[in-house]
Amino acid sequence: MRKLLEFIRSIYVVVLFVVLEVAAVSYYARSSYYTEARLLARSNRVAGGVRSFFGGIRRYFMLGRENRALIARVAELEEQLARYDEAENAARLDAYLSDIGESKYHFAAATVVSNTVNRAQNLLTLNRGRADGVVEEMAVLSPDGAMVGYVVDCTDRYSVAMSALNTSFRASGRLVGTDYVGSIYWDGTDQHVVLMGDVSKYADPQPGQEVVTTGFSQFFPEDVLIGLVESATLNETRTAYTVRVRLAAEISRQTDVVLVCNRDLWEIRDLQQSEQVEQYTRQD
Amino acid sequence: MMYRILTYSALFAATLLFQVFLFDNLSISIYFNPLVYVAFVALLPLDAKPVVVLLAGLASGVAMDFAMGAAGINTIATVLVAFLRPTILGMLYGRDDVREEGVPSPERLGTRVFVEYLVALVVIHHVVFFSLEALSWSHALHTLLRIVLSSAASLGFVWLIARIFTAKLPVRV
Repeated sequence: MRKLLEFIRSIYVVVLFVVLEVAAVSYYARSSYYTEARLLARSNRVAGGVRSFFGGIRRYFMLGRENRALIARVAELEEQLARYDEAENAARLDAYLSDIGESKYHFAAATVVSNTVNRAQNLLTLNRGRADGVVEEMAVLSPDGAMVGYVVDCTDRYSVAMSALNTSFRASGRLVGTDYVGSIYWDGTDQHVVLMGDVSKYADPQPGQEVVTTGFSQFFPEDVLIGLVESATLNETRTAYTVRVRLAAEISRQTDVVLVCNRDLWEIRDLQQSEQVEQYTRQD
Repeated sequence: MMYRILTYSALFAATLLFQVFLFDNLSISIYFNPLVYVAFVALLPLDAKPVVVLLAGLASGVAMDFAMGAAGINTIATVLVAFLRPTILGMLYGRDDVREEGVPSPERLGTRVFVEYLVALVVIHHVVFFSLEALSWSHALHTLLRIVLSSAASLGFVWLIARIFTAKLPVRV
């Protein structure tokens, strides 16, 4: 009996170690990007204020850059406004236009309180949450309208978005001026470049060509700028291109972002999953 | 004893805050991601029981996972390092000397042994962390580069933390 007790005493640290590691590994194995976003959202309850403080310091140093971007944006909008003024005259004549109601997309602005680019699963924390009308699956765009990521989890006052620099990120992209599409993902190497895979071999992407989102992915409105083609390589079987796309939005330097929600998203999804539609897709 | 618990609580909090609010916010490059909180495990007293070291590693790993939003990789890496620490110390320094009191430091262990000890802990920790984060061999070289560069950076910072921590303490603790 004493021998047995002594034996247990001599190995209980090893046993404890094995138990802890097995528990941690199995938790990690069952986790997904969603678990990580959820953890971060919870820890924001505690650390959100401090993160906001550090975010505020970062913000201060970017004010100049932001100001220039805003001025450029104002100029651009003024130009558009002038164009609308002209169009309004024409439209007044055409008074029979029916009321199209509110826009399909809902916009909101948020400040980035924490952001990483040095991990494989990078997440952005934003200072807007459910209380401000942010919901899961809203698109996150930079102030000049380029793709950044999408919201994966919210608490009342904060939300966590997956940035394009996340190996779990998926979106679909289209080469401007063509109908060729491909899936956008990140390989975890370069914080300025995402890949667009499965692009048709006939597409012939040219460096500098713009890549925009398609309406397929549902997270993003159509024609949001993703970036510019940097280079393209044919795969080994010469059937498809993998295109390197230089991101238009520099994700590490985002301080303010625009959130876009497709008001019709849930309606479309409910419709797609309705029993009536299912009846026609069921395989007998 | 009371005093020791206080100083180590302070060290725990300091490494945690530094990691979460400074190093995780640097966002310089994917290749530069120093994980300095391993300093907490490295600087536990030499005479701490293996089970205490293990539990300290667990606490530090879980806290980091929660704060960084990582689902367990910090815990896996830190618990492993905490488990191996007594063995590494025994191999580098000799089992009998380890039983005595003191904080691991260049003065206590000798500069060469102390550096080797830090290198061993940091490298094991970073290898586990980054390979688990990548979870694939397709970017093995890329992961290796991340390990090497981040380990080198962490090592520098851990050394600094160790110097500051031991400088503040009276000679015998």
